[in-house]
Amino acid sequence: MPSTTVIILDEYPPPPLELLDAIRSMDAEIVARTLAELRGGPLDELPVADVLLAPAEADGESVRLAVRRLRRWAGAPIVVVWTVTGFAALEEHVRLGHDYLVPPFLPALVGARLHSCSERAGLGRTLREADARAELMGYEKELEIGREIQAGFLPESLPVPEGWEIDVRFRPARQVAGDFYDVFEISRGRRLAFVVADVCDKGVGAALFMALIRSLLRHTAENSGLQHLVAAGRAGGSRRIPVVGATPLLNAVTATNGYLTRNHLRQGYFATLFFGVLDPVTGSLVYINGGHNAPLLLRADGGDPLALEVTGPAVGVLPDCVYTLGYAQLNPGDTLFVFTDGVPEARCPDGSFLGDERMLELLAGSPVSGREVVDRMDTAVREHTGTAEQHDDVTMLALHRPRAARGPHADRTTAAGRTAVA
Amino acid sequence: MPLSVSLSIEGDTTVIELAGELDAKTAPDFHQTIEKAAGHGTGTVEIRMAGVGYMASAGLRSLVFAQQKVANHVTIKVVGAIEPVSRTIRTAGLDRSIVLSDE
Repeated sequence: MPSTTVIILDEYPPPPLELLDAIRSMDAEIVARTLAELRGGPLDELPVADVLLAPAEADGESVRLAVRRLRRWAGAPIVVVWTVTGFAALEEHVRLGHDYLVPPFLPALVGARLHSCSERAGLGRTLREADARAELMGYEKELEIGREIQAGFLPESLPVPEGWEIDVRFRPARQVAGDFYDVFEISRGRRLAFVVADVCDKGVGAALFMALIRSLLRHTAENSGLQHLVAAGRAGGSRRIPVVGATPLLNAVTATNGYLTRNHLRQGYFATLFFGVLDPVTGSLVYINGGHNAPLLLRADGGDPLALEVTGPAVGVLPDCVYTLGYAQLNPGDTLFVFTDGVPEARCPDGSFLGDERMLELLAGSPVSGREVVDRMDTAVREHTGTAEQHDDVTMLALHRPRAARGPHADRTTAAGRTAVA
Repeated sequence: MPLSVSLSIEGDTTVIELAGELDAKTAPDFHQTIEKAAGHGTGTVEIRMAGVGYMASAGLRSLVFAQQKVANHVTIKVVGAIEPVSRTIRTAGLDRSIVLSDE
């Protein structure tokens, strides 16, 4: 392969014979193009070249535009302008940064000049590639920053009440996630709020909505004043007992739904979520399931798990919709397993899903601890996924009430009852 | 797995037929078709999903997106979705604004 490629501009006047001979005597590939071809011809027919040889009579601005087009396609050649007597015309080119050749056109002189131009063109191409790489690395760095900022929207530490265990597993499929979880105290520390949510779709859009939805939920729940602390249960005629923590829960979900549907409906982002409020003293749970995979309440006696089914639609889809409250009781030895669809929809390399049935099999029996449940499910998801790409975020939260804390009114000051694991 | 999307008009109904998997990778094709369908101005947009084996949350978002794109009086119907797909739609509560039907 020739070390240098030269485009000879096919314009009047043609290069003098000595110059052509000098170029032909060096190891160069020569192609001829008119200015019109370089400026208007199909992109895939543009030559990749080190040197563009032009007569000084060629219009400097036109040559510059041709080079600019070549640069975008294949890297810019160095323009070398020749003349025999037109030194005034040469000046215009030199001002534009073009190189030049003047007689005598001796092979050694021409060869040396063109080789040096070829090296400069090569350097230009290398720089362009380095720029492209730097740009790509810049994007990756931005994404990495995005990931770090997003991590700041997850709780730094989990406030685990005495006599309880909370275990979380969070594995995003990409650098930024649409899943999130949250655990915080409300009602002056009398209740524990926990959320597992899945913002629809993926990527940066889902990540931005994750930050918004998490903040709206938490801010509203934390700032629902104590004067509204007690809400009447709305789960139907049989339950009308006022429940502490139910108002922050209802406020948080309905206000977030209202905000999203008022301001962001057009973008079509929404979240399915499970938002639970636990009374750590009694183990009673009030919750809203907004269109989310039903969490499973695993019983201490190993009986069939209870699915905490939806009590309302996904958050951010329907304006003015009603969320009802669900109720459950966690007795000693019980575990509530909350997860996102990344668990049952984990896919193995041939495309089949882990599936709900397999999940139930894995969760069968009496759980020893929340961590054990989370570990077992996480292992199953990883083994099932195998060499396939993890295509969805995986989030799991297990809320476990160890047997050690006995009865609904276990002595909260007993150090022995404290088996919290964060 | 790729998604095939076709668009046709039958009387006052714009029919979108989907086959394959509707997830984050394929949803953008569906979005484009929805925008075209919304431009037709028919009274019903029917999305035939019998050939959709899997729908991820990105697909749910497409349905919400579809509702936003069409005029208020336009009915969106999802027809022939297999059980796991229609369950995904029902769980999220989208069956409150989208008509789910078997045929």
